[in-house]
Amino acid sequence: MTYFAGIDVGSLSTEAVIIDEDATMLGYSIQETGADPVRAATEALREALSLVGVSREQLHHVVATGYGRINIPFADRKITEISCHAMGAHHLFPDTGTVIDIGGQDSKVIRINAEGRVLDFTMNDKCAAGTGRFLEVMAGTFGVPVQELGELSLKAQKEIPISSVCTVFAESEVISLIAQNRPREQIIRGLHRAVVSRVWGMAQSVGIEGAVTMSGGVAKNRGIVALFEENLGHSIHIHSEPQIIGALGAALLARGEIHQK
Amino acid sequence: MHITRKEYLLEQKEKGRRLMGVFPALYPREILWALDIVPAEIWDPPLEIRQAGAHLQPYICSVVRLGLELILQGKCDFLDGFLFPHTCDSIQNLASVIYDFIGARKPCYFFYHPKIPHGHTARDYYLKNLKALAAELKRQFGPLKMDSLREKVDMGRRISELLGELYDLRAARRLDASNEAFYRTIRKGEYLFPDDYIAELEGFLTQTRSEESRNGATIILSGILPNPPQILTLLDDLDVQVGHDDLLNGSRRLLISNEKPGDPFEYMAECYFHMPPCPTRGSSISDRMRHLLSLINATGAKGVIFNVVKFCEPEWFDVPNLQEELKKRGVPSLVLDTELNQGLSGQMKTRLEAFIEIVRVHRESITTKH
Repeated sequence: MTYFAGIDVGSLSTEAVIIDEDATMLGYSIQETGADPVRAATEALREALSLVGVSREQLHHVVATGYGRINIPFADRKITEISCHAMGAHHLFPDTGTVIDIGGQDSKVIRINAEGRVLDFTMNDKCAAGTGRFLEVMAGTFGVPVQELGELSLKAQKEIPISSVCTVFAESEVISLIAQNRPREQIIRGLHRAVVSRVWGMAQSVGIEGAVTMSGGVAKNRGIVALFEENLGHSIHIHSEPQIIGALGAALLARGEIHQK
Repeated sequence: MHITRKEYLLEQKEKGRRLMGVFPALYPREILWALDIVPAEIWDPPLEIRQAGAHLQPYICSVVRLGLELILQGKCDFLDGFLFPHTCDSIQNLASVIYDFIGARKPCYFFYHPKIPHGHTARDYYLKNLKALAAELKRQFGPLKMDSLREKVDMGRRISELLGELYDLRAARRLDASNEAFYRTIRKGEYLFPDDYIAELEGFLTQTRSEESRNGATIILSGILPNPPQILTLLDDLDVQVGHDDLLNGSRRLLISNEKPGDPFEYMAECYFHMPPCPTRGSSISDRMRHLLSLINATGAKGVIFNVVKFCEPEWFDVPNLQEELKKRGVPSLVLDTELNQGLSGQMKTRLEAFIEIVRVHRESITTKH
């Protein structure tokens, strides 16, 4: 049996996915990236291989993606996360026409064709506005785990608009609102709306077509997903582990390269 | 030639030539050459901005910001004057900041060219301003001999021929040069005197002319100038060739005229009105689109990269329309919003690499269909 691995080295987390020659996902690992992306990638791959009982020697091809892809010494090839998220989302949900990926330090909207190839994309590239890092900073301001933000947002009957998605300005705005004793859930829902509006605005430049799949860690936030669905007027595909879609796409592209040869 | 730009300019000064700091982009270089003046163009000096911010609004392009910084840091003290072509409002106002407010303590010249790229009145206006500039320069820098001007017009024509040959060879994939080496050589024209530039271009042609055709993806690069240079090196690393460019300090300044030089002023005017379309000369979107499509057809390019300097108004006004038109024709395009000399962030690299992945898939699918 031949195996393939994809490794997505993101700013906050690193994922490794192992697939077999039939493109079946066998297992995965998620690690914090921290200050050493190579160590995180090595550890993610080691753990994923160990979970599925495959040795490093049995891996035929490894593709690295994510911002840390350039430094991964054991990758046979490096491919951008844009192509990898497109391929991963297409594999899991073949009717996907648009992928919304909100990661740790950037957000992307990717239009894809029926083969999972990228037709067009847009991404923020100047600051952390509307990204996972934004939500992490805001969670810190409220003193709640970032994983709980979504549920808190869903509890709000109303929302308090936040005028800026700049992480620094929004944080000071939130501190002022907390000082005014405004309901926490309503502020959080306002923050979620700011993130969604920012990404929604980006999406207009490439257009949203076909079914929408969301990937990246922020797709685990039910509050964000609900607001996107409200804008779209229909539901979004969310995989049980949306963080691994980039790494899965990388593994599929690793397999695809071998099949092409 | 292995000396730096500064060393070269100082060497020219020692030879008795005068040095003129010239801001972008279009100016009658032949008149300066004929007066034994070396134009030293100021596009993107590698400086840290320390003082210019005090005189400029934050939303001004880095060509202007860096140019002012160069003067404020005293790095232009060895120059004999400045020339400000009316390229855009920002450069026009930079001229005022330097001349009226800061006080350049050097002669400053202004060159106005028409913002309508066609018609008799535009031509008359251009000719009038060419002659007015020549008269002003003559007053400060000595006699302008017509024989010398004719000779320099011929040299300018030779430079255009050589550049045209380099661009044509590259478009035909018969130039064995990296993107970085190509633009490093082309950009020497920003300060070399014509005889040295001709020698440089001839040498480069001899070294890089190739009988074998290059493979790999090809794109068109549009914008003001190829900076940050990391764009070029990243394209080289990805084995992607710039097949042609639509850059203000690249092919948009190619003086193309089939007419034989007669009266030098008439010839310079003829060249000006035959230059490829450019937003700084008020070219229409349809002219620009036609031109871009001709470059795409000539090179087989599969995508266009708009590398636009942040806050460059003339460029930004056109980009959305050009992108839309390209999209209608199925040509992928990418817009990079860059600051000069700031390198490429990880996200910018990702965007550029992802665009090349799209272009490659596009190319493969076209190859498969045929």
